[in-house]
Amino acid sequence: MRIFENLNIDFLGKRKFFYILSSTLFLIGVVNFIFRGFTFGIDFKGGSEYVLEFQKPMSVGQLRPNIENIGLGNVELKSYGSSNAIIIRTELQTVPSTLFPGIVKKINSQIENIYPGVPYQIVDSTAKSVTYSFANPDTTNTMVDKLFRDGFQTSKTTADLTNTKMSVSIGISDIIKTNLKEKLKDNTFKILKEEQVGPKVGGELKRNAVIAIFLSLVMILIYLGFRFKFIFAAGAVVALFHDVLITMGLYAALYNLIPGLNLEIDLTTVAAFLTLIGYSNNDTVIVFDRVREMMKVHKTMPIEEVVNLAINKTLSRTLITSGTSLLTTLVLLIFGGEVIRAFAFTMFFGVIIGTYSSIFVASAIVVEYANKTKKKLSF
Amino acid sequence: MKEIRFRLAIILAAIVFSVYLLYPTYVDYQKTKNLNKILDSQKQALLYGNPNITPDQLDKRIKLIEDSIKASDPSYVKARSERIKLGLDLQGGMRVVLEVNTTKLLNKVVKNPDDVFKKVIAESDKEAQVSEESVVDIFARKLAQRGIRMSRYFGSVRDDDSKIISDLKKDADDAVSRAMEIIRNRVDQYGVSEPSIQRQGTRRIIVELPGVAREEEAKQLLQGTALLEFRLLKDPEFTFSVMQKIDNVLSGKSLVDSTKTDSTAAADTNKTKTQLAKTDTSAEQKQKDIEKNHPFFAIAHLLDSQGRSADAAVRGDEREKLTRLLNRPDVQSVIPNNVEFIYSAKPFRNTNDNKDYYTLYLVNKEPELTGGVITNARANIDPQTTSAVVDMEMNSDGAAEWSRITGANIHKRIAIILDGVAFSAPVVQGKIPSGRSQISGMANMEEAKLLEIILKAGALPAPVDIIEERTIGPSLGQDSVNNGLTSMVIGYILVGLFMIFYYRRSGEIAALTLTLIVLFVLGVLAGFGATLTLPGMAGIVLTMGMAVDANVLIYERIREELGTGKTIRASVEGGFTKAMPAILDSNITTFFTGIILYQFGTGPVQGFALTLMIGIITSLFGALVISRVIFDWMVAKGAKISIG
Repeated sequence: MRIFENLNIDFLGKRKFFYILSSTLFLIGVVNFIFRGFTFGIDFKGGSEYVLEFQKPMSVGQLRPNIENIGLGNVELKSYGSSNAIIIRTELQTVPSTLFPGIVKKINSQIENIYPGVPYQIVDSTAKSVTYSFANPDTTNTMVDKLFRDGFQTSKTTADLTNTKMSVSIGISDIIKTNLKEKLKDNTFKILKEEQVGPKVGGELKRNAVIAIFLSLVMILIYLGFRFKFIFAAGAVVALFHDVLITMGLYAALYNLIPGLNLEIDLTTVAAFLTLIGYSNNDTVIVFDRVREMMKVHKTMPIEEVVNLAINKTLSRTLITSGTSLLTTLVLLIFGGEVIRAFAFTMFFGVIIGTYSSIFVASAIVVEYANKTKKKLSF
Repeated sequence: MKEIRFRLAIILAAIVFSVYLLYPTYVDYQKTKNLNKILDSQKQALLYGNPNITPDQLDKRIKLIEDSIKASDPSYVKARSERIKLGLDLQGGMRVVLEVNTTKLLNKVVKNPDDVFKKVIAESDKEAQVSEESVVDIFARKLAQRGIRMSRYFGSVRDDDSKIISDLKKDADDAVSRAMEIIRNRVDQYGVSEPSIQRQGTRRIIVELPGVAREEEAKQLLQGTALLEFRLLKDPEFTFSVMQKIDNVLSGKSLVDSTKTDSTAAADTNKTKTQLAKTDTSAEQKQKDIEKNHPFFAIAHLLDSQGRSADAAVRGDEREKLTRLLNRPDVQSVIPNNVEFIYSAKPFRNTNDNKDYYTLYLVNKEPELTGGVITNARANIDPQTTSAVVDMEMNSDGAAEWSRITGANIHKRIAIILDGVAFSAPVVQGKIPSGRSQISGMANMEEAKLLEIILKAGALPAPVDIIEERTIGPSLGQDSVNNGLTSMVIGYILVGLFMIFYYRRSGEIAALTLTLIVLFVLGVLAGFGATLTLPGMAGIVLTMGMAVDANVLIYERIREELGTGKTIRASVEGGFTKAMPAILDSNITTFFTGIILYQFGTGPVQGFALTLMIGIITSLFGALVISRVIFDWMVAKGAKISIG
C-alpha cells in the first residue's frame, strides 16, 4: 500500500505561517507559565506523599474533612487512577511542633492502657521522636513490642541488655495513619505507595535534571556538527529547544485540567523530555541526511528546493514512523496505568511536536541561514 | 549462499541463547501462577471457615502458608533468583537513602566542647543544610575566622589544621563504611532476598529491600545503634553435652540412657562428617538413619571429629529449620539458662558440596564486655608471620576489665558478636594487661578490614539520617506488571498488523524482526542481570514503535530504487546501503540521550534508559542483519518481493 507517492508539497514556502504557529504555541506556554507556573512533584520539591487505597469507594471530597483538621497544614489530596485510591501529599518533612502535645498524650494513654500505673518519664524530645524511660529493661522491651503493634514506631535506644529507654519516632505518615484509622473505622485502607524526599535531595535532583537535558543537547550539537555542517547541528538543537519549551508550556497549561492526568514535573517527566529529545532529533537527522545526499546530487539547485525535495522524499517514512510511535504511546496512555500516564502523554505529544519541528523548525532554520548569508552550503 | 548461512547461524544462535536466558523467567511465572492459585483457594477456605477474620490476620495467615510452601520446595527460590530481575516498582519494596550526619559525628569525637564550639557547630550545621561544602570544611573555616586552631577541639596540639581536617574527613568516611556493614549485617539476618546496599558518593548509602512490606520494621533495621559484645564460648565438652541432650530430645529418646547414646552419637557424627566429604548410595541410607536417630547432628555437623572444638556447621538453607528446632520449648528446657546458640555472621563455603555453611557456637548469654570500651581498631599485616591481624585498643576501664577476663580465660575462646551474630571467635593466648590486643587468624586482609569495621561499630556508632525514602506496596507492583505486559502485547499486535497491512510480505518480515527484537531485549536483560522496571517496560513498548523505523527507512528506499527501474536485486542492495547512514546517525544520537538518562536517573528511570539503549542496538541488529538475511535469501531464491 502506498499513501504518499511522488509528493511535491512546498513546505518551506509556507514556513512563515508555521513560524507564527510555533510562536503562538510558545507564547501560550509562556503566559501559562507566568500565571499558572509549573507544579513540581515531590522528587524536586521535597516532601511526603502517600497513596492510600480504600476498601470501599472514597472520594477526595469525602476524605478532605477527615484529613484537613489533623493539623498538618496545607495537605493536598488527589484521586489516583480510577480505583478507590487517593494521593495525600504535604510539603512537610517533619511533624509541626503544634501537634506534638497531642501525640505525646496519645502515647501516654496507650502506655497507661498496657500497664496501668507504670512509672515512666519523658527524657528527651526532638522534632522527630520522643524518648521514654522506664524503671527496668523488661518493661521497656514489653512497651516497645506492644506499642509497635498498636502502630507506633518504637525502638529501643540502644541494643544494650540493660537499656531502659524507648524512643518513639513520630513521622507524618504515622499521624495520617493513626488519625484516619480512628476516623474511618468502617473503611479500612492500605498504603500502596509512600515516598519521602528531603529538600536537599530534591534540589540536587532538580539540578541534575537540568544538567542532563543540557548535556544531551550539547552532545547532539557536537555529534551533528561533526557529521553535518554546523548550521545543521544548530538547526537541530534549536528545534529540540522548541520542542522542550513548548511541551513544558503544555505542562503549565494543562495542569489539573484533565482528570486522571497528573502533569507534575518529576523524574519520570524528565525522562520523557530526554526521550522526546532523542525522538525528535532522530526525525531531524533523517531529513538532514537526505538533504546532504540531495545536495551532492543536485549541485546547482537552490537550497530551499533541495530541502523541500528531501522533506517530500522522506515524508512517507516520517509519517509511518510517527504513526507507529504514536500508536505505541497511545497504547501506553490507555493501558499503561496511572504510574506512567504522564510519561505516555508527554511522549504522545512529543512525537507530534518532534515530527513537526524537524520539518518546520530545523529545516527552516537551515534555509533561513543559507538565504541570509547568501552562502552556498556544501558538503 | 554460504554467507547467508553464516549469518543465519548467528541469528539462530542469538535466538536459542535468548530463549535459554528467558527460560527461568518462564518457569518462575508458571510457579508463581500455581502458588497464587493455591493461596487463593486457601484464602477462600480461611474466609469460609472464619468469616470474621480481619484482613490483617488473613494476610498474615496466607503469608505463613506461602512461606511454608516456598520452604518445602527449593525450586521456587531457585526459579525466582534466575528470572529477569524486577525493579522495586514492579515487585514492591522499599528504597532508602541514608546520609551520615557529620555534625553528630563531630559532636561525638570532640575533646572538650565549650560554648564557642557549640555555637560554631550549630552555625556550620545550618549552613551545611543548604551548601554543598562538607560540615568539616565549614566548621574549619568558621574557626579560622575566629582565629581558633582546630587542635583546640580535635586531634593533638601538635597537629596543624589541614591534618586534623583530613583526619576528620577520614572519620566521616569510616562512619559510612561502618554504617554499611552494620546495615548489611542486619539485612542479612533479617532474610531479605536480593537486597542491594550501595555507597553513593562519600556520605550516602542507598539501601534497596525488595518485597519488604513492613516499612517500620525495615526502618528499625536501618537506624539505631549496633551492639558489639565479647562473650565467652563454652568449652567443647560442655557444648557437646548440651548438643547431645538436644539431639536426644529431638529423636524422642529418654534422657536416662544418655551414656549409651553418647558413644553411638559420636560414632554417628563421625559418619556425618564423612557424609560431608562424599556421597554414595550406601551413605544415603546411613544419612537417613542419622536423620532419624540424630536429628540435631544431621543438621549441625560437628567440624572437628576429634572433639577438640564443638563448632558445628549448618547449611545455609537449613539454618531456619534449626532455629525453629532450637526454639521448641522441650529443647529450650535442656539448654542451660545462661547460654545460647549463635551463628557466625558470614558463611564459609564447603568445597565438597559447594554449599554455604554457617558456624554454630554455644556462648554465654551475659557478655564479658560491650563495645563501648574500644577506642580504636586497625587491620594490619603482622611483620613476622605476614598474615592479616587486627589491633585494637581500649580505654582504661575497658583495659582493666579486659585484663581480668583474659587472665581468667587463657586458652579459652571469646566470640566477637555484633547484633547477635559472631564475626570471629579467637582463642585467648595470654593475659592482656594494657587493653592493646591483637586478633589473628584472619584468612586475608579483607576479612581483617571487616573485623576492624565491626570493632569500631561498637565504639563509634554511625549517625545516619534517612534523607529519601520510597515504598511501593506489592499490590501496586502487581498492577504495574499487568499494565506493562498488556501494553507490550497490544503495542506489539498493533505495530505488527500495521506493518503487514502497509508493506505486505515485507511487512511480515518486519513483524517477524520485531518479535525477535523483543525476544532479544528481554534476553539481554535476563543475561546481564539487569533490572526491569515499569518505565523499562514502557521503553520496550516505545522501542517497538521506533524499531520499525529502520525497516521503514529501508523499505521506502527500496521502493524508490524500484521506481527508478532497477532490478529487485539491485534495489534491495541499494535500499539497504543508502538507508544505512540515516539509520546510524539517528540511532547514535538517541543512544547518547540514553546514556545521559542512565547517568542522571535513579531506579525506574535507569530501567527505562537501559531498555531504550538495548532496544536501539537490537533493533539495529534486527533491521540490518535479520531483515537483510531474509531479503538476501528471498532474492537469491528468486522469490517475488512484495513491498506493498
